[in-house]
Amino acid sequence: MPKQLPSLPAKLKVENVPVSYSIDCRDKSTREINELLRQAIADGQEHIDIREPDARHNLAVALLRPVRVVFAGSVGYYCGGMMDGATIEVHGSAGWGAAESMLNGTMIIDGNAGSGVAASIRGGTVVVRGDAAARAGVSMKGGTLLIGGACGYMAGFMMQKGRIIICGDASDALADSMYEGVVFVGGQIASLGNDAVIEEPTAEDRAWLNEMLVTYRVPGPTAFRKVVSGRKLWNFDRRELEVWRAAL
Amino acid sequence: MCGIVGFLDKNQRTDFPLGRTLLAMLQALSCRGPDSAGVALFGGRGEMRLRLSVPPETDRQTLSNALQEEGLTILHSYRTGVHDVRIGAEVDLTKLEKRIQHRLPGSEVLCLGEHMSLFKQVGSPDELEAAYRISTLYGTHGIGHTRMSTESRVDLSHSQPFWAHGVADLATVHNGHITNYHKLRRRFEQEGYRFYTENDSEVIGVYLRDRMAAGRSLEGAMRSSLEDFDGSFCYLAATSDQLGFVKDRYGFKPLMLAETEDFVAIATEEVALRGALGRDFTAHEPAPGTMRLWSINAETASLAAG
Repeated sequence: MPKQLPSLPAKLKVENVPVSYSIDCRDKSTREINELLRQAIADGQEHIDIREPDARHNLAVALLRPVRVVFAGSVGYYCGGMMDGATIEVHGSAGWGAAESMLNGTMIIDGNAGSGVAASIRGGTVVVRGDAAARAGVSMKGGTLLIGGACGYMAGFMMQKGRIIICGDASDALADSMYEGVVFVGGQIASLGNDAVIEEPTAEDRAWLNEMLVTYRVPGPTAFRKVVSGRKLWNFDRRELEVWRAAL
Repeated sequence: MCGIVGFLDKNQRTDFPLGRTLLAMLQALSCRGPDSAGVALFGGRGEMRLRLSVPPETDRQTLSNALQEEGLTILHSYRTGVHDVRIGAEVDLTKLEKRIQHRLPGSEVLCLGEHMSLFKQVGSPDELEAAYRISTLYGTHGIGHTRMSTESRVDLSHSQPFWAHGVADLATVHNGHITNYHKLRRRFEQEGYRFYTENDSEVIGVYLRDRMAAGRSLEGAMRSSLEDFDGSFCYLAATSDQLGFVKDRYGFKPLMLAETEDFVAIATEEVALRGALGRDFTAHEPAPGTMRLWSINAETASLAAG
């Protein structure tokens, strides 16, 4: 566990910026929507409203400026992937790979998220108010994933850094083979993955969890369990061959 | 990569535009595979029928005579070489398919039953609509498929939905790969089942038929398939009064589910749900290794073509 907890994501700085530009997705190709979005950002627009997205894929990928993009509906695969510093809100659900490989920024999904939400993120915060499907937060290298509901199996698989908060239940193989980082679970854990162990949250952890829930207005449980790496898979040790056999 | 869709109207309205809904869902998914498209619609009980494809060189008189000798009557002929055929009450359904194929080499029974209407062909959902005007069809529930072929050939026979040969009113659609297909097929063939295609998806119908013949319910058969099928797959199965899905244990293939007081809608991607049904509902991805089945009263509904 890192000794120094990263500072809380401040209240969204761009939250109160009025809508300056709107894109209606109807009768537009995905390429046209993304070109309009990029042009609007290049023109200095700070709050862009995207209407009728109708769960289309590959929207708002690789945004590199601190703008606020609001989707008035569900988005498809890979929305917000690879972004650095933007704030994306989805007033609906998101498909597979939302915010995948994000460097920094905030993505807030009001509904449910498909498989692989926040996979491989390096920083920033992803909030899913509903449930997250399988493989949430796999291979995270930093940042925070906050899930208001339950999550599917293999959440946090091989994560290397960062934090996952699951307010509801976690499915099987939670935090399997994680190197580092931490997973907090408010509900039931169906099963822990290889080399994932439970330890007592610190007072600092509890304060941070509370602040996260308040900041993002996510109703959460009063107590969380904390899952961290048992570190038995860090270095091969012939004396613990069984641990490796089970993991591989 | 394929796209699969399913829809069930909980209100069982006889005037529900099911064909239009399934078509809109498939059109939204057509980028997942333009090779072939198809739908199977279900409604209330009608007369026992089958839908037959025959080779293009078959002349009308030969066809009529062959069918007549089996107690079958052509009701309608499509330009695509597909014919709707009424099955007389006295006809013995046992080995009917085999007898037809003996009389009409190269023919294939695409579907058979009292509730189901199955249309499929090579091409996109738009081309399916152009050929069969499926948007004018009504029904209570149904499934659809748009295909990108990966292993087997592209023709009518390999298009989906697949009717489960030998079981009236049972059809399946599949997205993914059943990786122990050859092993399962070999076993089923040894037990006497016939396979009509080289498509791994066909084994789903054979498996369900086999398990149901052994006394399992459709639900039980679908549930056990989670253990017996290997690979990455999502499939839907529909009968006269049921619609359900199965999602593989690893969740490798996407599937979205939306259920409201009025309907159950299932699709490979949410874009199909939004494109066909709007925005006033939430959708979620079912957990890996799950199946669900919904039932309706098939006797009170009706299937009609406009």
